[in-house]
Amino acid sequence: MISIEGLSFRFQGSAQYALRDVNLEIAPGEFVVIAGPSGCGKSTLALAIGGYLFRQYDGEAAGKVRVADMDVRQCPIYDVAEVVGLVQQNPEAQFCTLTVQDEVAFGLENRCLPRDEIQDRMAWALSIVGAEHLAGRLLATLSGGEKQKVAIAAMMAAKPQVLIFDEPTSNLDPTATAEVFQVIEHIQARAGITVLVIEHKVDYLLPFKPRLVAMEQGRIVYDGPVTEAHPPRSLPARRPSHPFSYAQGRPSATIGEEPVICVEDLHVGYNAAPVLRGVSLEIWPGEFVAVMGDNGSGKTTFLQSLLGLLKPTQGRVEVLGQDTRHISISRLARQVGFVFQNPDHQLFAESVWQEATFAPRNFGALDEATQARVEALLARCGLGDRTHDHPYRLSYGEKRRLNLISVLAYAPRLILLDELLIGQDPGNAAFLLGLLHERVEQGDTVIMVNHHPEVTCRYASRLIFFNSGQAVVDAPTEEGFRQLAALGKEVYLPSTRRRP
Amino acid sequence: MKPRLTYQPGHSILHRLHPLVKGAWMLFGTILVFVVPDPWAVLAVLGLVLVAFSVAGLRLGQVRGTRLFVTTALLLGGLQILFVRQGPVLVQIGPLAPTIGGVKAGVYVAGRFLSVVFLSYLFVLTTDPNSLAYALMQAGLPYRYGFALITALRLVPIFEQEGQIVYNAQLARGVQYDARSPRRFLTLARQFFLPLLVSALGKVDALAVSMEGRCFGKYPGRTFLRTVHFTRWDAAAAILLLLVTVATASALAVL
Repeated sequence: MISIEGLSFRFQGSAQYALRDVNLEIAPGEFVVIAGPSGCGKSTLALAIGGYLFRQYDGEAAGKVRVADMDVRQCPIYDVAEVVGLVQQNPEAQFCTLTVQDEVAFGLENRCLPRDEIQDRMAWALSIVGAEHLAGRLLATLSGGEKQKVAIAAMMAAKPQVLIFDEPTSNLDPTATAEVFQVIEHIQARAGITVLVIEHKVDYLLPFKPRLVAMEQGRIVYDGPVTEAHPPRSLPARRPSHPFSYAQGRPSATIGEEPVICVEDLHVGYNAAPVLRGVSLEIWPGEFVAVMGDNGSGKTTFLQSLLGLLKPTQGRVEVLGQDTRHISISRLARQVGFVFQNPDHQLFAESVWQEATFAPRNFGALDEATQARVEALLARCGLGDRTHDHPYRLSYGEKRRLNLISVLAYAPRLILLDELLIGQDPGNAAFLLGLLHERVEQGDTVIMVNHHPEVTCRYASRLIFFNSGQAVVDAPTEEGFRQLAALGKEVYLPSTRRRP
Repeated sequence: MKPRLTYQPGHSILHRLHPLVKGAWMLFGTILVFVVPDPWAVLAVLGLVLVAFSVAGLRLGQVRGTRLFVTTALLLGGLQILFVRQGPVLVQIGPLAPTIGGVKAGVYVAGRFLSVVFLSYLFVLTTDPNSLAYALMQAGLPYRYGFALITALRLVPIFEQEGQIVYNAQLARGVQYDARSPRRFLTLARQFFLPLLVSALGKVDALAVSMEGRCFGKYPGRTFLRTVHFTRWDAAAAILLLLVTVATASALAVL
């Protein structure tokens, strides 16, 4: 079905090849997972198979790509699109209309199919992804998982022979992730098409016994079945034990200390719609708190409330002894670092150095000690020789490191992280977590929203789980997982604790 | 917080009216308030627009920006009353001597302003923008332009949301919006818009792949699953508009 021979590609303006001498044969009906670290060329390979790489991007290409006996480098993109469908990472970015029906019908209308056939195909595509009930909905009202199902249905409606998924679950919570993978498996089994999935979360795909293609620096370095060693997906062994144990609901080492955060009966809402409903908790110095829960359960709202970005509609939040209703954000931010979800939304300066020192400069605290700290952090993060580069020239993983450096630069006592690990390969994730763990060992507090049970299990001392705006689990990590299991939240448990 | 000035779903007769017929009525109303010479006629049009709000089940006070426009209208009208001196003086209050002509001019200006603003409100609040775009395409607008409109409608709330995230991210890193000088203002603007621009470019790339991958632009025309129906009520509203337009034009010609 797909035959790639000696494919190399270098984007214009880049010194490095994104793809290097890639050779790959994929038979009809195969289920292939493409894995590898961020920036290794996985998405570029997907764009090459779909033909987009050779038309929408300037660069230097060599080699052959054939799909269903078509020379993809020569064929018009519309001809390739009849055979290959590409589901991208962010469904929001690939929608062309405003409603579910319009979206699924979009490609069929463009092909000038008659109305009756469009209706038949739309019903079939929605049913194959289990989204018939969404037909009358506006796209803006769907959850992340529902949006991804509609994006898949929109591609399936054209009845492609090859469907490529480019990290389809990177923005989804574990519940939605499991659903989307079930949909992919269902499609492959029912429609019998060739499926390529670019994915870091290989564990979820193991039941489908896929063929694994592992890439590194633009090359294929492994092609075969998934094994314990391939791909290298596990995080490093457990970090040193946490510097305290819990007793009577609080870390025993913090007796006599004041809590870093004190939340009492917190209610927060948008446009009169409640998001947080009666959250009460205390967080202590040196805790590494993992905040988990489905998308829309209130995790980000909780985090933003801690910096005063959102004010309580009822109840109160006290951070480092300050009531967030009565202190300015810029004042609180001197001691509270916040890393947002998308790295591109928080790069403001014109060079890596200026970005790393952006906050201390705003706070009027760019002294020699701070500069030395930033230099050391940049060197450790492999950015020491890129201080003059523009931040937007960095790779995705490097941008994430820079986001974290720009917060660690002013040594805040409390670090808030909103899904820091989205799209990060295990190596980069472990590196970032290592930096954070050092801060915890120094007595700082880390609160991290994340969707990775393994990360929570290995790094967090405490687990808070949100459900419909309420903290339904709040306990030391081990106990927290026991409570999640009792609640039936199987997908939030580390793989070793799930029922077979 | 009051909801944004966007389509408010509903089932009133105004909601169900064909977008193009409704648009034509709005255009007629807008032109009317500028061509009728009588301020009281303008006030009557404004009254009808307010009745239409009630028919649509909308409350003006709940829409963002209403207070600003009403205040502006009162200011414009007040200035006319204070400074236009035509006809007999109504009342002498110290140095102020509002005239009948001034009051008429005030009513005329404020009424025109509010009529145009509220007519636009009425159209936006009762018209599904998606239906408008599809109605325009089915009426002959090239589909590339129609989808440009739909894409813009889709991306506006996303950029609004992203703008809020960038703003929050800046506050969290100690940025203070204190434009002390033009240079500082430019720096703040650059720091705010650069992340949004980068995000927009990324979205354009993803959208281009998505559209081409679904054969957008393959043929000069396309079929449509969605049909914006033209009902008997729409036909009646269109005929009524035609009659009212002819009658108004005749009346104006006589006057």
